[in-house]
Amino acid sequence: MSLKISVQMLDPPVIALVGRLDTHTAPELDQTLDQVLADAAVTRLVFELGKLEYLSSAGIRCFIRARKVIEPRGGKVALVNPQPAVRKVLDIVKAIPGGIFTSVAELDAYLDEMQRQVREGQ
Amino acid sequence: MGNAVLTSRWMFRTVRGRMLFWIIAVTLPIYAGALYMTWQATAQRLEAGAQRDVDQLGARLATAVDAVIRPIEGGVRTVAYQLEEIDPPPAQYAQRILGILKAWPDVYGSTIAVETANARGAAQPFAPYYFRRGEGFGFSDLATDKYAYQQLPWYRRPADTGQPVWSQPYFDAGGGDIWMVTYSVPFFRRQAEHRAVAGVVTADLDLAWVKRTAAGATLGPIGMGWLLSPSVGEPFVAPIGATTERVGRFDAAVTPDTIRNIGEGMLAANRSFALLPEGTTVRPAYLAVRSLETLGWQLMLVMPRDELLAEANALLRRQLWLGAIGLLLLTAAIYAVAAGVTRPIHALAVAVGRAREDELELQLPEAPRRDEIGVLTEALRHMGRSLREHVRLRAESLAETARLERDLQIAASIQQSMLPRLGVADLPAGIEVAAALQPARQVGGDLYDYLDLRDGHVLLTIGDVSDKGIPAALLMARLSSLLRVLGTAGEPPHRLLAAINSRLAEGNDACMFVTVGCALLDVNSGRLRYASAGHELPLVRNAEGAVRSLAAVGGPALGIEAVAGYELMEGFLAPGDTLLMYTDGVTEAQAQDESLFGLERLDRLLCEAPEGGAAMLVARIVAAVAEHAAGFHASDDLTVLAVRWNPAGVTFHRDGMHWRILCGADSVGIRQAQQYLQALLAAREVPQQCIGDALLISEELLTNIVRAAGERPAATRLALDVALLPEQIVLTVRDDGPAFDPLARADPSLEADIAERPIGGLGIYMVRQMAADCRYSRDEDWNVLQVRLDRSDSN
Repeated sequence: MSLKISVQMLDPPVIALVGRLDTHTAPELDQTLDQVLADAAVTRLVFELGKLEYLSSAGIRCFIRARKVIEPRGGKVALVNPQPAVRKVLDIVKAIPGGIFTSVAELDAYLDEMQRQVREGQ
Repeated sequence: MGNAVLTSRWMFRTVRGRMLFWIIAVTLPIYAGALYMTWQATAQRLEAGAQRDVDQLGARLATAVDAVIRPIEGGVRTVAYQLEEIDPPPAQYAQRILGILKAWPDVYGSTIAVETANARGAAQPFAPYYFRRGEGFGFSDLATDKYAYQQLPWYRRPADTGQPVWSQPYFDAGGGDIWMVTYSVPFFRRQAEHRAVAGVVTADLDLAWVKRTAAGATLGPIGMGWLLSPSVGEPFVAPIGATTERVGRFDAAVTPDTIRNIGEGMLAANRSFALLPEGTTVRPAYLAVRSLETLGWQLMLVMPRDELLAEANALLRRQLWLGAIGLLLLTAAIYAVAAGVTRPIHALAVAVGRAREDELELQLPEAPRRDEIGVLTEALRHMGRSLREHVRLRAESLAETARLERDLQIAASIQQSMLPRLGVADLPAGIEVAAALQPARQVGGDLYDYLDLRDGHVLLTIGDVSDKGIPAALLMARLSSLLRVLGTAGEPPHRLLAAINSRLAEGNDACMFVTVGCALLDVNSGRLRYASAGHELPLVRNAEGAVRSLAAVGGPALGIEAVAGYELMEGFLAPGDTLLMYTDGVTEAQAQDESLFGLERLDRLLCEAPEGGAAMLVARIVAAVAEHAAGFHASDDLTVLAVRWNPAGVTFHRDGMHWRILCGADSVGIRQAQQYLQALLAAREVPQQCIGDALLISEELLTNIVRAAGERPAATRLALDVALLPEQIVLTVRDDGPAFDPLARADPSLEADIAERPIGGLGIYMVRQMAADCRYSRDEDWNVLQVRLDRSDSN
C-alpha cells in the first residue's frame, strides 16, 4: 500500500491523500506541492485526509513546507478530516495549529469567517 | 491284497477290514454255541444209550444166574418136602443127598442135618456130608462134637426162621479151595397140632459157573464190569466179558475194590450212573451200578468218558472242520463283496486326488453302474464340471481385478501428478511449503493444492471429499481443476469457495461433497486470509513455539448448497510462523485400542517440535500418526499441508525471545521492515493503535539513521530488534554508523513562527512523545537506541 494523491484545482485547491504518507512516499507529495504551489495565486490549500491511514514525520514536513510557502502569501493550509492516528501525530508536533478541521462543513464555515474578517479588515 | 497280512491297523482302517471283523465277530459265537449244543445233545444220547446197555446186561446176567439157581432151589425144597411127608429113616438120607449131587452138576456138596431138640425119643446129632471128589463123591460126617453144626449160622438161620436161606458167598479154604454159596431149607415134622423143625437140607454151589457166565457175557464195545457179592468181608468178584484185558489197557489201578464203596454209595443214594470222582482214575470215566434181584448181587461197570463220547467228539471234529471251511468261504465272500464296493471308491478317490487347480479334468470311470457307486460317480462328475466353471469364473474375476488394479495404479499416479510439486525453486522467496498425502486406498479423496498467483500471494488449499476410493478421486480431480482455473483470478478465499461451490453443486446427483480450507497468504506482508467450507480449523505454530487455532467461521461443505456464502477471516502470520492445514485422517487416525490421534496430541507434537522448517513438521506429524496407528490399517486418507512464512532478513532469536529485522538503508528497506513489524505485532494481537505507534516510531528512528548516514547510506548496517513483553513493546534500532545520539538534540520549538520553524527534528520529538522510555547507548561500533512502548492503548 502506498500513497495516492489526487489534486482538485478548485479555489482553494484540494489535495486528497489516500494511503500512507511516510519517508517513502513523501517525495511524491513534495513534487505535487511544488507544482501546485508554483502558482503564486494559490494562497489557500486544503488536504483531504479522510483516507490517509499513516502519517510519519516525513509527511508532516510536507505540510510544514506547504505552510512555509503559503503563509508568507497571507494564506492558510487546512487539513480536513484526519483519522485519529493521524490526528494524534499532528497534535504531537503541533504541525498546523488551528488548521485541522473535522469536516468539510467546518472548514467551509471557517473559510467563510476568514473571508468575512478579511472583508471587514479591508 | 492277495496274501497280505491282515494287521489290526488294516483291519480297522479299511471298510473291508471292519466288515470282516464284525461279521466274523458275530458269526463265530453263534456257530460255537450251536456246535456246543449239538455236542451236548449227542453226549446225552450216548449216555442214555450206555445206561440202556447196562440195564440189558444186568437183565441178561440175572437171567443166566436164575437159570442155574432156581432149579437147584426147587430140587432142594422138593427133598425137604419129601423128608417131611415121607419122613424116611436117616439111613436113606445118603441116597437123597447123592441124588441132589447127581441131578445138578453145579452143586459141589450137600447134607441133611438133623435137629435133636424136637426129636422123638433120644435122637443123636446126624449130618452126613457128601461132596464131589474127582469123578466120584467123598463123604464127611459133620456131626462131630468139635464141629457142632447146630450152632452154625448155615443151620441156625433156616432152623430158627423156618424159611429157606441163601448164604453169602464164601471161599472154602478147607474143603475144595473154591468159592461157594450155600442154600439151606428147613424141613418139619408134624407133632400133634404143630410143625416142628426136624432138620435142614443144604446144597453148596460151586460159584465157578458164575465166573464163567460173567466172563461169557458180552460187555459191549467199551467199559469194564464186575459182578460183586454184597458180603461184608472179602467179596466174590466175577469180571464180566473182556474186562480184564480192558483194565490193563485203560488203567491198571481200576479194581472192584477201588470202585465198590463209590458204587454202594450211589446205590444208597438211588443213583445208577455218574462220573467217577476226579482222581479215582487216570482218565475221566463213568460208573454205572445195578443191583440184581437174585442173591442181592451188584453189577458195576466203569466206562471211560472219552470212549463213551467218542462218537460225539468225532461229530464235533467233523463239524469244526465244516465250520472252518464255512468261515473261510464266508470271509472270502465278504472280502469279495467289500472289495467290489471299495475298489471303485478307491478309484474315485485316486481320480479326485489327482485333480489340480490347473488340471481339473477328473479321470472318472464311465458309469454303467446303477448302484450307489454309480450315483457317487455322477455326483463327482457334476462337481468336477462345477469346479471347472468356478475356476474359470475365478480366473476371469482375477483378471478383471488385476485390470482394475492396474487402472487404479494408473489413476493413483495421475492423482499424484495432480498434486503440486513443492520444490524450493517453484516457491516465491519467503515461504516454505511442505505437504504429505497418504490415501487409505490406492486413490483417495484428499487433496492439497498450492498456487503462486505471481502478485506476491500464494493460494493454499486442502480438501477432503466425503467418500473414499474412485468416486472421491474423481470429485477431487474436478475440485483440483476448478481451483486451478478459478484460483488464479486472485479472488479472496471466501469468494473463491463460493464460486467453486456453485459449480460443484450443479448436477451433483451423487450428493457428494467436499470440505475445503483455503488460505491466501501475502508473502510480503504476512497477511493471511482464510475461509473454510466445513473443514477442520488450521493451526498456527508460532515462531516462539506456541500453537493456536485459527479462529475461522466455517460455511457449508462444497457441493451441498446451490448457493452458499462463506466468511473471510483475516489475520497475520509473524515471521517464522507456520500455518498447518490437515484433514481428519490425522486427528481421527485410530490406534489398535481404538483411541484417536486427536487434536491434543497434534497440539503437543507441534509445541514440542524443535525449531525447523515446514518439511520437518510434516514429517514429524506423519511419523507420529504412523506410530500411533502402529500398522493398524488407516481408514481415511491423511493429508498435511504446512506453510511457513520465513521472509529473508527476519529471524527469531529464541534466547532473547525477540525478532531481528535486518533493514535496507533506504526508504524501500524501511518500508519493508515496517511491514514485517506490522505483521508481527498484528499476529500477536497488539492493539491497532499501538501498532500504529510502533510503526511510526520505527520509521522515524530508521529514517533518522539513514539520513544521518549522509552520503553512503548503503554501507550502513541497520537492524530493528522487536521484543514483546507482557506490558511493553521494546523496539531497538542498531546501526554501525558514526556515534550519534539523536536524543541529545533539543526539542524543536513548536511554538515558533512558521517562518523560523525548522523542518527537521520532528521525528525524534514524536518518538519521545509516544514512547514510555527512550535511551541511547554506544555498544562498541554500534549505535543502540532502545524505545519502550506501552502495549495498553491508553494514549
